[in-house]
Amino acid sequence: MNEGLARRMSAAGQPAKGTPMLAFVLRRVMQSVVVLFVMSLVVFSMINLVGDPVDMLVNPESLPEEIDRVRRDFGLDQPVHVQYWKFLLGAISGDLGKSFIFGRPALALMAERFPATLELATSALVISVTVGLPLGVYAGLRPDGWGTRIIMGGSVLGISIPTFWLGLMMIIVFSVVLGWLPVSGRGETSRFLGIESSAFTLDGLRHLVLPATNLALFKIAMVIRLARAGTVEVMALDFIRFARAKGLAPRRIVLAHLMPNILIPIVTVLGIEFGTLIAFATVTESIFAWPGLGKLVIDAIVNLDRPIVVAYLLFVVTLFLVLNLVVDIIYALLDPRVRLQGDET
Amino acid sequence: MTRTGLLSIQGLRTEFSTPDGPLAAVNGVDLEIARGDVLGIVGESGSGKTVLGLSIMGLVDRPGRVTAGRIAFDGTDVTAFSEAQWQGLRGNRIAMIFQDPTTSLNPVQRIGTQMIEAIQAHRDISSGAAWQIVREAMVRVGINSPDERLAAYPHQLSGGMRQRVVIAIALLNEPDLIIADEPTTALDVTVQSQILRDMRRLCRDSGSALIWISHDLGVVAQIAHRVAVMYAGRIVEQGATMELLKSPSHPYTAGLMASMPANSPRGQRLVSIPGGLPQLSNMPKGCSFAPRCTRATEACEVPPDLSFISPGHGVRCVFPLHVGAALAERN
Ligand SMILES: Nc1ncnc2c1ncn2[C@@H]1O[C@H](COP(=O)(O)OP(=O)(O)O)[C@@H](O)[C@H]1O
Ligand SMILES: [Mg+2]
Repeated sequence: MNEGLARRMSAAGQPAKGTPMLAFVLRRVMQSVVVLFVMSLVVFSMINLVGDPVDMLVNPESLPEEIDRVRRDFGLDQPVHVQYWKFLLGAISGDLGKSFIFGRPALALMAERFPATLELATSALVISVTVGLPLGVYAGLRPDGWGTRIIMGGSVLGISIPTFWLGLMMIIVFSVVLGWLPVSGRGETSRFLGIESSAFTLDGLRHLVLPATNLALFKIAMVIRLARAGTVEVMALDFIRFARAKGLAPRRIVLAHLMPNILIPIVTVLGIEFGTLIAFATVTESIFAWPGLGKLVIDAIVNLDRPIVVAYLLFVVTLFLVLNLVVDIIYALLDPRVRLQGDET
Repeated sequence: MTRTGLLSIQGLRTEFSTPDGPLAAVNGVDLEIARGDVLGIVGESGSGKTVLGLSIMGLVDRPGRVTAGRIAFDGTDVTAFSEAQWQGLRGNRIAMIFQDPTTSLNPVQRIGTQMIEAIQAHRDISSGAAWQIVREAMVRVGINSPDERLAAYPHQLSGGMRQRVVIAIALLNEPDLIIADEPTTALDVTVQSQILRDMRRLCRDSGSALIWISHDLGVVAQIAHRVAVMYAGRIVEQGATMELLKSPSHPYTAGLMASMPANSPRGQRLVSIPGGLPQLSNMPKGCSFAPRCTRATEACEVPPDLSFISPGHGVRCVFPLHVGAALAERN
């Protein structure tokens, strides 16, 4: 991996070799800008169809003059296309509007909440790989074993049980009945290497375990399936047979020959799935009262706080676009056959 | 040079269990190989050559299994070996090269890594020392600028070069026996004959015995001291190469010879044996070649015994060709 990165960097330093990659990234960035523009148009027009935020901002019994004043203050009296134009001008300079409720920039509010969501999603990702990968590889290596049947049965459950139901069950079992873990919130956080996280304190970890596991369950099942399918496929290939013919220990075959080959598709899928983890975190955050982005946007939807909703949706779209790009680059680094395309002669 | 026994196979049977019952891909094979010997195994595709090779390596995977027979390697019966014992043997004392060089190497590992691990699996040796051995092995199989190649990934090398790498890996631990399963079939003709020549030289230098598997009798004749002809899981004829080519006794061997390009006049279509291998699930009662054989009679409906045309030249046929003076004398 490091070698790969080094290779990539040195390649980028040489125009002749670096150009294809650079051109690729530039083209993708341009495409992304177009997608973002179209999305902003769609989001903006859709949100104007849902309710009147002014109803939420003033007491319905207020005088009509008062209501008109508020409407004017928030620019809601103008035609939609004018509102959109203003929004677009703001967006280009990095201003996605102010929250109607908090009166503060939407981006600033999101930036405050983002670390909590990032922490939750990252923990879920780590859990899904550390649990799912070994189980999936085991299932692929012993297709007829009892362990495999249990693992695969469990993964079917993981996919078919709704996240929110399972979340509630987890709270009931571990927090209410057993009283082992706290019900909600983020707990104590601390700073380590410049990152503020609850993963660095025991109290924080106790708060993190349930929501992260809840968010991870679906992905664990997915990683198990990917890892198992990959293992079955790769173990049947000639180079595995040749590795066995060399007299390598099974451990070495799994770690040095199987793993790198199944990781390529798993990393690809997980990278893209990281976006869905952040998006799906909304449900988990609501159940566990986790003070992240998801909770912010759910509250914003309830309160018709348009700027927050628009900013959040555009953020999620951007996230997906960026992740796709990053995944393609990582993919190229992991797989030498992809990596060397273009600079092979 | 006196040759002492290295590998002795008796009554080997390898079956694949299927929903319709077990199918014997290798069906009662007897083989003897001495140290430094080169044995060719010839037969049509599907005759069980690869399964035979894998059986000797202990690499037959489910649903396949060696169900009968004895494989004695250097005096030890390996059929009851544990996985750990096999690991000690594979790549160390018996090496195997597979047909397709494009798929034998791990695409995401550097060549050097894949070679060094083959040494370190069997010897406690530093990576630096292993690197030296690996470099020399690359040079020996005719790869120039080995350091560059060792740092490369498989897809950066040509097919012929990859097969040389695979051969170099097989030779790394100076095995007593190398099983080469059609190692040149996927390569073009010029590379093929080069590799054939190199392989012969390398085995002579290292004293390794070689089992060369091929569907092409012409290729086998160039390299092997002895040839075993395989048909539907059985060895139907076996003998010294010269002897066998001079007087093929099994009609199947004769058919294979007639279909060799060198043996048919230029411009004329190759004669091939009509028909195909019998289905393993639907094997003839007696001689498995009988349905395709012009000489077959009712007498062929019982499995033919092994008879010797001359010492060391055995055949399983009721009506062998070229019976020659030797057999006539005996009767
Ligand atoms: N994994 C397997 N499962 C079932 N049958 C197999 C398997 N591998 C090989 N066979 C059967 O064993 C027979 C011999 O195959 P093989 O040894 O590959 O032939 P060859 O190498 O001579 O072309 C064939 O009939 C093939 O269908
Ligand atoms: Mg074969």
